[in-house]
Amino acid sequence: MKNSPLILDIKGNSLDDGPGIRSVVFFKGCPLDCAWCHNPESKKRTTEISFDKGMCIGCKSCIDICQSGAISFDNQYFIDREKCSLCFSCTDACPSGALSKVGTFMEVDNIAERIIKDKPFFDTSGGGVTLSGGEPTIDISFTSELMKKLKSEGIKILVETCGFFSIDKFMDLIYPHADMIYFDIKIMNCSDHKKYCGVPNDLILQNFIRLHDEYRNGGIRIIPRTPLVPGITDTEENIKAIADFYTEHGVKQADLLSYNPLWHDKNAMIGTDNPYSSDKKMKEWISRENEDSCRKIFLNAGIEFP
Amino acid sequence: MSKRNYMNTLTNLGLRMMASQFNLRSSLKKYLKSSDGWINFSIGFSTETESVEQAIVFQDGKVKVLKNIPDNADAVMRFTSDEVLKEIVKITPNEILNLVLKNKIILEGNMAYLQAFNYFISLIMGKKHQRMLNKLNKKEMKERKKEYGNKSPELAEEIKNRYAYRMKATADEDPGVKFLSDPYLSEFSMDDFPKIKRLHEEHFNTKPAISSERPRLLTEWYRENGFETDNNGKEWFPELRQAYAYKHLMENKKPVIRPESPIAGTCAPEDVAVIIYPDTTGTMIWGELGSIDRRFLNPCSITKQTADDLHDIYAFWAKRITREWIRDKYDYPLCQKIDERAVASFNFKTVSMSHIIPDLETVINEGTESTISKIDRQMKTLGKKETDKLNTLESMKICLEGLNAYAANLSKEALILAEKETDETRANELKMLSEICKRVPAKPARNMDEAVNSFWIFWVGLVMENNNISLSPGRLDQIFQPFFEKDMQKLSKEDEKKNYIKHVIELFCFYFIRNAEHQNLVPDVANYLFSGSHAETAVTLGGIRPDGKDAVNDMTYILLKVTEIMSMRDPNMNARYKAGVNSDTYLKRLCEVNFITVGTPSMHGDDAVMESLKQTSDNIEDIRNWGCTGCVEITIPGKQGNHAGATSINMVAGLEMALNNGYHPLMNWHLGPETGSVENDDFKTFEDFFNAYSEQIKFIIEQNTSFNNMAAEAYAYLRPTPYLSAAIQGTIESGRDVTKGGAIYNTSGTFNIGLADVTDSLMVIKKLVFEEKKITMKDLKKAVDSNFENDPAIHAMVMNRVPRFGSGNDEAVEMANRVASLIHSSYKSHKSFRNGDFTVGFWSVAQHSAYGALSGAIPSGRQAFQPFTPGLTPHPSASKNFLDNIRDVARMNPRYMDNNIAFNVRLVPSPAESREDTIDTMYSYVKTYFEQGGMQMQFNIVNSDVLKDAMANPENYKNLIVRISGYNAYFIHLTMDMQLEIIKRAEFGI
Repeated sequence: MKNSPLILDIKGNSLDDGPGIRSVVFFKGCPLDCAWCHNPESKKRTTEISFDKGMCIGCKSCIDICQSGAISFDNQYFIDREKCSLCFSCTDACPSGALSKVGTFMEVDNIAERIIKDKPFFDTSGGGVTLSGGEPTIDISFTSELMKKLKSEGIKILVETCGFFSIDKFMDLIYPHADMIYFDIKIMNCSDHKKYCGVPNDLILQNFIRLHDEYRNGGIRIIPRTPLVPGITDTEENIKAIADFYTEHGVKQADLLSYNPLWHDKNAMIGTDNPYSSDKKMKEWISRENEDSCRKIFLNAGIEFP
Repeated sequence: MSKRNYMNTLTNLGLRMMASQFNLRSSLKKYLKSSDGWINFSIGFSTETESVEQAIVFQDGKVKVLKNIPDNADAVMRFTSDEVLKEIVKITPNEILNLVLKNKIILEGNMAYLQAFNYFISLIMGKKHQRMLNKLNKKEMKERKKEYGNKSPELAEEIKNRYAYRMKATADEDPGVKFLSDPYLSEFSMDDFPKIKRLHEEHFNTKPAISSERPRLLTEWYRENGFETDNNGKEWFPELRQAYAYKHLMENKKPVIRPESPIAGTCAPEDVAVIIYPDTTGTMIWGELGSIDRRFLNPCSITKQTADDLHDIYAFWAKRITREWIRDKYDYPLCQKIDERAVASFNFKTVSMSHIIPDLETVINEGTESTISKIDRQMKTLGKKETDKLNTLESMKICLEGLNAYAANLSKEALILAEKETDETRANELKMLSEICKRVPAKPARNMDEAVNSFWIFWVGLVMENNNISLSPGRLDQIFQPFFEKDMQKLSKEDEKKNYIKHVIELFCFYFIRNAEHQNLVPDVANYLFSGSHAETAVTLGGIRPDGKDAVNDMTYILLKVTEIMSMRDPNMNARYKAGVNSDTYLKRLCEVNFITVGTPSMHGDDAVMESLKQTSDNIEDIRNWGCTGCVEITIPGKQGNHAGATSINMVAGLEMALNNGYHPLMNWHLGPETGSVENDDFKTFEDFFNAYSEQIKFIIEQNTSFNNMAAEAYAYLRPTPYLSAAIQGTIESGRDVTKGGAIYNTSGTFNIGLADVTDSLMVIKKLVFEEKKITMKDLKKAVDSNFENDPAIHAMVMNRVPRFGSGNDEAVEMANRVASLIHSSYKSHKSFRNGDFTVGFWSVAQHSAYGALSGAIPSGRQAFQPFTPGLTPHPSASKNFLDNIRDVARMNPRYMDNNIAFNVRLVPSPAESREDTIDTMYSYVKTYFEQGGMQMQFNIVNSDVLKDAMANPENYKNLIVRISGYNAYFIHLTMDMQLEIIKRAEFGI
């Protein structure tokens, strides 16, 4: 059985994941475990089952077919993931698609085929493919194969990464085929980083410094980005620390990503708890003032926005 | 045994009350008379259960009620049940109209007399109906404000603010641009044209008025000189009859020069006028003469004099309308009955023929005098016995003489106004205008002002003869560029040149306003069937020239600037794009104008269009010179007699009939052939079902084309068009009127509605029933028959588990092409009256909403009475990836679509993005689409909140234009159904 990464989704016509019109490949699996993750279904490497309450028509075909007795309307998350054997008979039987399989194995050629269809749009708009997820470096060899295939078709590639990978492997297998990198810098304080993201940040920061140096020496463009999460990353302390880090390493361009609260229901869909389900600040769009004050800190440090 | 019941008695009483009103009150009785004498007709009323049978007879000034419907009754109103009959006393005329559309009331017979009857009712019940209507309207507006109103006033501002920023460009990539340094003309805005700004606003605050000038002058002539026969009893040669009447009209038409206008002439004396064509649509508002000024949608003011005039005029025409002519000659054929139900098909031909692009280039450049000489020369070559040809040619001449008389009157009027004018500049302008009108359109135009006046005066003449529906001027940028260059070359100083460019922009802004001052007649039923549609004067820009070179020139950009400044629904701006020839500068400008105006111009891919046009012509220069007519129809200007919007069919009706063995549920009529029953398990394979569908479609098309041809024959008799014929090539050589096939090319254009809905339904049957065997045909039909209410699981499956057209799935695209091919081959197997082919279009006007409202649930999951998708636009749920939509539409074979398509896209602008970035994204979609072979694409760039706000607060959105399906409309003029349909359309963020 192949140990290759699973694919969550291939989203076409994305205007927000890099320049031009792009297709985004979402890998399943991530070495981090951020508390605010907007795609919680991308954290685990293995397949999962998702239930969208809004699409359910109550026909009970799933309950009828389930051999493990894992499905019940009494259950808070509809499916008891402990009992579920992941046989996916229910997702097959579901007429509306409320039950769906999360994470599919796809061959490199398969993925490429889906993407190549949109190449004419990439060409006209200066777009291409964005590798995201989860974490696209979750299986560096596989991703490398995919990148080689896409490159051979003349498609530009942007890698969106959390930065937690082996730098040698990355330089060897990913870097030669990439055209641009988006690199997440979330939290500067190491113990906070471990607390909120599951791992310490020293490897991440090291990797960033290395890649940014490469860029300064003629390598591919890398843009660090910080998701603004209310009360966690958007604090003055964190933003200032990040700005200082950039200044120290000669980073001239960086981005801040606005917070959007539309992820809350996603946890329930895959049967996990949402630690912020009753957090008021987390439920709202970030305020203009907040965002502006964060941006100001960067601007004052001489950092430009792309 | 008699089935008559108490309803019969009640109906009898009601009619007798009406009769006595007319018999006893002289104020009402006078309406029973016209200049020709008493208005005599009879209307029957019955129910399908035979519980009711009554008739009312208007005879020689007396009204009688009969207990039986006489055999020779002019019209019958058939109610499908007692309940329906009971309803009508409680509801307003619009709601009755709704029942007619829903086939709950069947109207048969002379529609003009039915309208007359409605008018008589309104004379008695008018006030009551109006009160009921006002109450309903108030309630509706209140509900709308509650449901859709946003408390954010900045919504109305968002669109206005789009004008504030304008991109710049250079003309390096456009070899045809000779003078403009910034082709986007970004330095100009409406504020630089204060006259236009004022007149533009005035225009939107002017209620259109019904004009009786045209029908009055024509009818006056016919009454004096005879219609069928002349005063000596001899049969008129129709072209001559038309020509003399036309000349009378043009000689006596009020010559009007609108205030401050550099262009002389108007279609009618009223400020904004609705032009009446009594032989086609005119009588359709007979019943509304008392209420048209206060109806909810598109009210038109009407003076008492006009209403009385029209009542008198309509009486003359009641038996002379196209429908009546057909009914009489062909003994109320089946195809007419099908048409009148408006469910399976609707033939636009009885409404008008006009869709055409006349040869303006010759008129403007050579003058009508040269046409007259050409006609004379041709006449000399004919023998005395060739009377038909001689008469046809003579009639063309007479018409042109009429035009010259009108121009002379305009010249005189200009001088009269100049005398009275206190402002010196304007007085000089008027004197110049007087000289211009002395010269054009008789003689060749020598400069831009003469050219535009020649064009407009000729155009007025055209509208006086032909319904002002989809008469299209064609490639104005090509026509006027030589004049622009000629005028510019005479100027040497920079400021002179700049002023001249400003003058030309202003001149065409005036043209837009002049053009918007004639509006087409919209009977209330058309508000629902053709929501918001109007004169549809299509102008086509860009593309390539007959010699294959880039056609984009200075005038292209000037007209785009005018489009941007004016943001009006008419003229209907269309832009051609030739991949590999037209520049990115041009394409990006098209995107920007679309962004600023929300939805115009619509864009066309030259490669696909020209490929499809090869079926009409093998002259490559003619093909390269194509232009749009009306909505989007592909036409060769000046040479093609191509009633491009002749007839439409509801493709979904064929599906319902195939599912019901030839029976149509809403019509409650077994009109089609027996092609197999689902209940009897007759369909063993998908091919079996597809064949059944094919049979039904072929039947509908056969009937539809028959009726079209009968209507064409009616035109050739009732209203041939010698004036138009003088401006269409081929007619002089052939000595035949356009209506008789005199043009070089002859086609009749069709538009076919429901392609995506049919394709998706066929995919459901193919995949779920026959391939995956997840459900049986019987179970599917049961679910469909219950509007899916009995089987939500099947509904969920068909909606979510089957790939749709537009999802990127190869099979679905193949299916769409297969259906398109079926339609195409069915039409091509018939010839039109003018011995041409039918061309096949997949755009829908507002029919996707109208036919949708008359169709039941279908296997694709669409529920009963919901609109279809517009044109051939994929269903909103087909794919989350808009690019799939684009690619699939581009993969449609252009051969099957030689009357063009409409592919609608709604983009939601992102406030965070810069103008340049937004335009770049749009440009990427559009360019790639056309490079992939796409044929047409049209945008609405507006978010749902704004549209909802416009529903609740229409007064803030007077000129918000939206693209329906090929044409523009003012959003606030649309029915609520159409407005909601546009809001629900797939929305893609940019």
